[in-house]
Amino acid sequence: MRKKVVLLVAVLVLGLPALLFASGPVSAGQARITVSLDKEVYTGSQTVTIKGTAPKGKPVYIEIASENKVKVSRLDTKTDPKTGKKPYIFYTTKDIPAAYTMLLPTSDAMEFQAQQKLGKKWSVGAMLKNCGAVCAYLIPAKADVQRYQASILATIMGSKGNVLPAMDGADSKKATMPLLKTRYRWPERIFSPTVNVNPDGTFSATYKLPESAPNGAYTVTAAVDKDTVSAPVTFTHNLSFGRFYFSTAGQSMGIIGPFLLSLVVCTFGVLIGAGGGFILTPLLLFIYGLPHTVVAGSVLPSVLFSQGTGIYNYSKIKFINWKLGISVGLAMLVGGFIGPKLTEIITLSQFKFLFGWVLIILAAIMYWQTTPGRVANNKKEQAILKEYKKRAQADAAAKTVAAPKTA
Amino acid sequence: MKIDFWGNEYKVNVVVACTGGFLIAIMSSMFGFGGGPFMVPLMTVVLGLPMYVVVGSSLLAIFFNTAMATSRVISFGNVDFMLFGLMAAGAILGGMIGPKIAKRLNPLVIKRVAVVGLLILGLMLINVIPTPK
Repeated sequence: MRKKVVLLVAVLVLGLPALLFASGPVSAGQARITVSLDKEVYTGSQTVTIKGTAPKGKPVYIEIASENKVKVSRLDTKTDPKTGKKPYIFYTTKDIPAAYTMLLPTSDAMEFQAQQKLGKKWSVGAMLKNCGAVCAYLIPAKADVQRYQASILATIMGSKGNVLPAMDGADSKKATMPLLKTRYRWPERIFSPTVNVNPDGTFSATYKLPESAPNGAYTVTAAVDKDTVSAPVTFTHNLSFGRFYFSTAGQSMGIIGPFLLSLVVCTFGVLIGAGGGFILTPLLLFIYGLPHTVVAGSVLPSVLFSQGTGIYNYSKIKFINWKLGISVGLAMLVGGFIGPKLTEIITLSQFKFLFGWVLIILAAIMYWQTTPGRVANNKKEQAILKEYKKRAQADAAAKTVAAPKTA
Repeated sequence: MKIDFWGNEYKVNVVVACTGGFLIAIMSSMFGFGGGPFMVPLMTVVLGLPMYVVVGSSLLAIFFNTAMATSRVISFGNVDFMLFGLMAAGAILGGMIGPKIAKRLNPLVIKRVAVVGLLILGLMLINVIPTPK
């Protein structure tokens, strides 16, 4: 008799929640998890406090994404284990959030560290899968990814290659994950196992807006599984005074920093008789962690100005041999067509490695120029240069005086 | 190819000049710098042209490269115009300050400082000197 009562109670205790759960996703999938923030507007790199309630005993994942988007591209050179060939597929999207964080429950700390230990070989897909966080991978998953079949010939011709057919939902979602890694590079820049989930189903977490976070709207969404996703909550981030959002770079920066950096480097560049581009680029990479495509892309046009003024000044005194300049220039025109495409195709580490060697070679050339023999030679050359320049200037001055007479 | 410059005639090996120029152009447009520090040694040391011929003409040659590369990076959408504006302002101001202080400094010392600086940056880039993530 007593046994039967115990059994009945057990069935009721275990069965009722099971019944509720079973009907849950159908009736009120969205209502089962809620999320709220301590404020609606944050200024500077303040901390966002997130609270909410979820079904008891379930892990909670929180996705935080800026509505600002950036372009991210990558070339897939990973050998396919089936065919043994490198695919050389170029993936590109304009829809990667300029700031993106996924908060994981504290119970996922081990999985998180396991991915961190893999170094460069970690993967967004494995992290999401091992932590069970795929359900909260929502905003980047919707990114519109284009694929191109890259080839050496196509690169030389300056194209991305042939367009490959659009991917279906699952493949497209999968393709966004390495692109997210390309943008953020390290696990700790995206993931953080810091959601405290209490036994009663309430949860809490904090998110410190990074120093470089863009301004504007952000959405926060919490999820337990693919059927239990909260309604997104939004907040606004205002930048502190003097900081602005750099839309192509996809991050906010103080405006004084890049200006002063360029001023100091370019002054120094003038002193060593060269532009400052090759010093500016690595410094921007190290100090601000900007994408290498944007760094090279933004430094280049400023080089153009100093070259333009230089050519103008030399041409006034007829100090340019047009035949020599144009014939070598045409070869360089072709080179300048190919180079920027290569920047897009290579990874940041390849960019750094190659550029590192370029700088070491340049250092060697410049060192050679400071050896006694070269210094003496240079002095002679500079003396001749000065003499001819003087002659050229005198000639140009004489002509401008003479001009009105002939006219 | 023969060129005439201020009354002197020079012979230029066009094949070497154009091949070198082409390779330097790929490299410099890829990494976002002008290419002058490589073009001047190419034309003076490798081609044996005197400095006074090279200064203006090498600048014209690299202008072709930079102009093309600039139009390419703009079309790729890789230019952050705000960043460019700030750096261009710094570059223009630096171009005015530079020549004024140049006379007071020993060019050899500056060049040696540059050698050390470039070497450090180069070693940082190839990860011989550790850098923050």
